[in-house]
Amino acid sequence: MILDIIAILLIVAGLVFFLGAAVGLVRFPDFYSRMHAAGKGDTLSNLLVVLGFAIHELRHFDGSADVIVFCKLLAICAFIMLTSPTATHALMDAGYEDGIEPVIGEDGENALAADRKKP
Amino acid sequence: MKWLGLIATAFTGILLLSATPYFPSFGDPNSPANAGVNGGVSVSQYYITETYTDTKVPNIVTAVLADYRGYDTMFETVVIFAAGVAIFAILRSFGGTTIPSHPTAIDTSVEGDHQRIIIGMTCKLIIPVIQLFALYVVAHGHHSPGGGFQGGVILGASFILMALAKELDTALARFSEKRYLALACVGIFIYSGFGLLCVALERNFLDYGILHRLMPATDEIMARSHSMLGVEVGVAFTVTAIMFAIYANLSSKGRLEQGF
Repeated sequence: MILDIIAILLIVAGLVFFLGAAVGLVRFPDFYSRMHAAGKGDTLSNLLVVLGFAIHELRHFDGSADVIVFCKLLAICAFIMLTSPTATHALMDAGYEDGIEPVIGEDGENALAADRKKP
Repeated sequence: MKWLGLIATAFTGILLLSATPYFPSFGDPNSPANAGVNGGVSVSQYYITETYTDTKVPNIVTAVLADYRGYDTMFETVVIFAAGVAIFAILRSFGGTTIPSHPTAIDTSVEGDHQRIIIGMTCKLIIPVIQLFALYVVAHGHHSPGGGFQGGVILGASFILMALAKELDTALARFSEKRYLALACVGIFIYSGFGLLCVALERNFLDYGILHRLMPATDEIMARSHSMLGVEVGVAFTVTAIMFAIYANLSSKGRLEQGF
């Protein structure tokens, strides 16, 4: 019961971050901030959702089979932690080397505000 | 010439699509595959009830793929091999024109080095795990989803990741052209070799049961199971080699050198 609640909370939190990442991906003005939203949001929300699944797997704890799936899901978590930020970094790096300019407003104000000022 | 290809493709496509209405609909209980022909046992029924007693393989898909329909799978492997050879034949260019140097292609500045460290370190951590997992997928095809094709693709992808993260040369130093071409041939050779061994022992091509004479401490049933593993390894060899061959040739325009 308590594990169910924890699992549901984790998965819902993950979905909220997913939504944030998706909104950021659409709404942010330039390549770098979009990648920022996608990279951060994806990593954390994937992690939370998979952790929720792992805990959900333990709810009827009655043998080794559940623990194996739990460990596999934890391994997936570890690999997401490792690979997802690196993939974002590699994409950012490729964009930077390709000469993509970030959107910067006048006298260094933030990009989103500069975007809003546009007619 | 392109128009000719388009016409041929369109003609074949229309021909194939026009045949689809005559197929039994999905899940139709009266289709020959589900109901059997003339009241006999249907194929699906037979696979579901008899696979385990026939081969001691719990994963029916693997048993159907590598044993009951081994002939089909052998030529699927050959198709992949042919695709790789076609890529090789079309793209690979040997020497000829001198290669212009691209000073910008390889970033040797401190900043560039610094950025490569992150990707390089992650790949160093992750590639052994990927390769181990690929071997697990190949070897565990009997018991869980997986097998030669999937494992081979994962193993090939690990080399592609190495080429992406470092230089193509780094991957080629570990998996040279000579090696991957040899490995692709060896894979086909293993598969058809299993078939020919059965013929040599006076059975049908790819009728693995008889191979228990060559395998110590097995009966006909376990011989089928073990031969499936052997065949899957052959498939994995070919798929690994061809995956990497296709990437290496496509990414370097057939020159197998960095900077294109």
